[in-house]
Amino acid sequence: MTLPMRTLRRAGTLAGLCLAVTAAPSLAQEGEPIKIGVLEDQSGDFAAATNVKVHAIELAASEINDAGGIDGRPVELVIYDTQSDNRRYQEFMRRVLQADQVDVVFAGFSSASREAYRPIVNQFDGLAFYNNQYEGGVCDANMIVTGAVPEQQFSTLIPWMMEEYGPNVYTIAADYNFGQISAEWVRQIVEEEGGTMVGEEFIPLGVSQFSQTIQNIQASEADFVVTLLVGAAQASYYEQANASDVNLPMASSVNVGQGYEHKRFTPPSLADMYVTTNYIEEIDSPASNDFVERFRAMFPDEPYINQEAANSYIAMNLYKQLVERAGTTDHDALREVIAEGDVCFDGPSGNVCLDPQSQHMSHTIFLAHVNEDHSIDFPQTWENIEPYWLGDEGCDLTQNDPSAQYTPSNPPNQ
Amino acid sequence: MNTRYNDVTAVTTRREGSLWRAIGHLEGPQTIGRGPLFWGLVSLAIVAAAIYPLFADAWTVGNAAYFMVWTFMAMGLGVVWGYAGALSFGQTAFFGLAGYAYGVLTINIGTAYGFTIAAILLSILLAGLFALLIGYFMFYGRIRGVFIGIVTLSVTLVLETFMAQTAGPQWRIGEARLNGFNGMSGMPPLTIPWPGGDLALFPGRGFYYVLLGLVVACYLGLRMLLNARFGNVLVAIRENPHRAEMLGYDIRLYQTLAFGLGGALAGLSGALYTAWGQYITPSSMGLTAAALPIVWVAVGGRRDITATLLGTILVLAGFQSLTIYGSQYALVVMGSLLLLTVLAAPEGLIVAAMTGARSLWRRARR
Amino acid sequence: MALFQTAFAMLYQFGDAFAFLVISCAGLAVIFGMMGVINLAHGEFIMCGAYVTATVAREGLPLVVAIIAGAVVAGLVGMVIERLVIRHLYHRPLDSIIATWGISLIATQGVLIVLGSTMAGIGTPLGAVTIGGDSYSAYRLVLMVAAIALLAALYLLFYRTRFGVVARATIQKPDMARALGVDTGRMYGLTFGLGAALAGLAGGLYAPTMTMVPTMGATFIVESFVTVVVGGADIFVGAAPAAAILALIRATLTAWYGQLFGQIGLLVAVIVVIRILPGGLSAWLKRGSR
Repeated sequence: MTLPMRTLRRAGTLAGLCLAVTAAPSLAQEGEPIKIGVLEDQSGDFAAATNVKVHAIELAASEINDAGGIDGRPVELVIYDTQSDNRRYQEFMRRVLQADQVDVVFAGFSSASREAYRPIVNQFDGLAFYNNQYEGGVCDANMIVTGAVPEQQFSTLIPWMMEEYGPNVYTIAADYNFGQISAEWVRQIVEEEGGTMVGEEFIPLGVSQFSQTIQNIQASEADFVVTLLVGAAQASYYEQANASDVNLPMASSVNVGQGYEHKRFTPPSLADMYVTTNYIEEIDSPASNDFVERFRAMFPDEPYINQEAANSYIAMNLYKQLVERAGTTDHDALREVIAEGDVCFDGPSGNVCLDPQSQHMSHTIFLAHVNEDHSIDFPQTWENIEPYWLGDEGCDLTQNDPSAQYTPSNPPNQ
Repeated sequence: MNTRYNDVTAVTTRREGSLWRAIGHLEGPQTIGRGPLFWGLVSLAIVAAAIYPLFADAWTVGNAAYFMVWTFMAMGLGVVWGYAGALSFGQTAFFGLAGYAYGVLTINIGTAYGFTIAAILLSILLAGLFALLIGYFMFYGRIRGVFIGIVTLSVTLVLETFMAQTAGPQWRIGEARLNGFNGMSGMPPLTIPWPGGDLALFPGRGFYYVLLGLVVACYLGLRMLLNARFGNVLVAIRENPHRAEMLGYDIRLYQTLAFGLGGALAGLSGALYTAWGQYITPSSMGLTAAALPIVWVAVGGRRDITATLLGTILVLAGFQSLTIYGSQYALVVMGSLLLLTVLAAPEGLIVAAMTGARSLWRRARR
Repeated sequence: MALFQTAFAMLYQFGDAFAFLVISCAGLAVIFGMMGVINLAHGEFIMCGAYVTATVAREGLPLVVAIIAGAVVAGLVGMVIERLVIRHLYHRPLDSIIATWGISLIATQGVLIVLGSTMAGIGTPLGAVTIGGDSYSAYRLVLMVAAIALLAALYLLFYRTRFGVVARATIQKPDMARALGVDTGRMYGLTFGLGAALAGLAGGLYAPTMTMVPTMGATFIVESFVTVVVGGADIFVGAAPAAAILALIRATLTAWYGQLFGQIGLLVAVIVVIRILPGGLSAWLKRGSR
């Protein structure tokens, strides 16, 4: 008895050893954490809107880890503060990809910061989630975008506003890529719907005094004003417009959902502002309320849970799903999963899906209306709005990877 | 005396003489550091820098190369501010101009036949000429002191504001779209023609050695220039412009030339930065970006080129590690360090360290 | 009527730009123009004044009291900073760039960490007035009056009071002033404090019209420096006409060609003015009067 037992045991150890040797890489991977790089602006100009993104990622990470991790592997976050500085994005994107060897990066608030790090992600063939609403058009296989894009926000907002208030539109927009491209979308949709652009004005970033602009708007016959203003300085417009009794309804794709101006400004400066957003904390659905509750349980002092927070949270869960379905963190395998076209997540903002052609995300678009007292109501909701533009224009990441950013006046098929 | 030699020898000795004189200018009144000990340390530092990539990981090497990218702009400002006494708040204008020039040139022409190197040279030339123009405008207009700071700051802010709104498709130069505030990308990295396929210098060892060579060449070259007549006149102007003028020097010319040199060096930084990250943005010409070179130079010590060089690398590396490990407190610590430096080491940290080391050395020899 | 309307509109725009330049540069005119300290933390003194004003106003005190509180607190902070840091830098003004930049970093980020990334605003009082069919913010008209009052008060303070005369004497000829028994250290402290208080006042006055974030001071800094420098060495002779000229250029270009040209035009104007008048406006004006 003893001998066979011993031999058996020895055989067992041997077999185990063999197994261990052959399975070493995958075994090591099994217990090894999945590293996620997080590059967000925790200080500087953009801090107000981006600190909450980091918290959302931390919330998602702790929930995922409590539920057993991604495919049995715990999630480890590597967080750097990029200080609203493009150079820090360049430095730290290299660092997370080269030195920290992360599996995926969640990065960027401003479009400039995204464009600063994108060449580096491409050089190292990394994978980055950009969880921000932006001007659209990035067709890059190394990027997954969960934020809303203009066709989702304006194709819903502008027709609704024109029907409600009239065909004469005045746009004021920040004088850079986001503002100019968004204004282009507004112009196009207004013309398609048979309206008139009675004015269009571009404001350099950092301008905080708007007297002339306000006067121009008052002199025009506008039925409503599309405000595509960006940054703390430009946000002074609302206070100044209100003080001058402009009294026109406003439509926007950036306010409220990002910088929670309705919480920060004194009522009624934002009264009658309409915003299309894919999430804000006021959304009264069981999933949203639950999300807000869990968020505040972990971060009780969070000033506001904005759409970028929800997008970051969704992105974490999408990544979990991608890795678990692919069985690996390898980017090509993940993209094959995306190509199946059914990567969806039912989260705080409803059901959202990744579009394989552009690697952007569909959204439920909520029309948020700011009341006199700055409370929010939702006169309209559009479900499952697709990010159709890139695909329609010929960007198909399942076929090829141009790694470029396109605009309506500079589309891919040109 | 010359009659002893025939013409040919006279010419050669004069040439050799000027070469030796130039090498002799490696040390002199305008730079700290002389004698075998100093040069021994310098050689040791160069050797250490040269073998260090063999022991460090790829990111650290690339990152060190990235720090070196900025030192040219800092040394240029060191010449303009520390030696010529004109505080320029707008070196970033030349930095940005050269960065964009590199992008436009390489996107349009490509990398064949080592064109990226030519593009860098052309960008430097452009930045240098622009700086000469601004310098001519200022110094021949008798603009002095803090007014120089404001004019140069205005120049860089005008460029920033203008470039930020060039997002539309109409803003293109050939194939290259300026692309507004989001910045221009898609330019190739520095590419060196090589038998059997060009070498694209992505940040890494290759890029590091090119940078190291450039930094050493630039540093030694500036030492020779600053200890030669040109540097002496600059310092004379800084100390007392009227006296220098009375002694017969055209101070406007010297200041303009120094400013042009500073601009060209900022341009070198700009072109290399664009090649490094394949990206250039208007915000690299903004107010914060414009203040940074002044901080680097002042912290190290502006009156000595060695101090400027070392100080810049020290501040860049220090601030970056603070940001990595200090999270949100990084900026507070940075601010406090700057305050402490100004109060405790008025001449600059590196200058203070070097003078301290020298007096220790002297005491030890006694 | 239409002519009057257009004329008033133009005047309003000019007055608005003028008030912004005068109010935001007053503090810097004292600290930089008079004392020669290149104060890159000017924007942070403004932010300090704005934050204090907003906090006090939200406690229910009248806005005027809140604005004065903002100015006083900023002034006190200024005096403390002068005592600890600036005092050591009078004989090397260029180093003050680094020191004040450091202070600015600490202040901006410190406020972000302690008070959070934003602060609720307090809303613009007084509503709107309708003049010739267009409505204007009444508070902005108040700001224009405040700008002129501020210029007058500063002139009186520095030319008609003992403090003003002693302060100017101390800064122009410190040794002489000391020989005459002036406590120059105290005078430097008070003058710097006054400059900081004026910056705080600017923050307080503009707090109701702006968004409150730790980086809000940055919007003021370029315009302030530019106005002071164009004004030249003698701030009381130079600053007001400088603000007037720059405001005229900015308002006109903004009205005709949009905000971009207003912004760029302002900076180009600065370059040109300095080129033509290397000593600033005040040197030129004084030469004319001699």
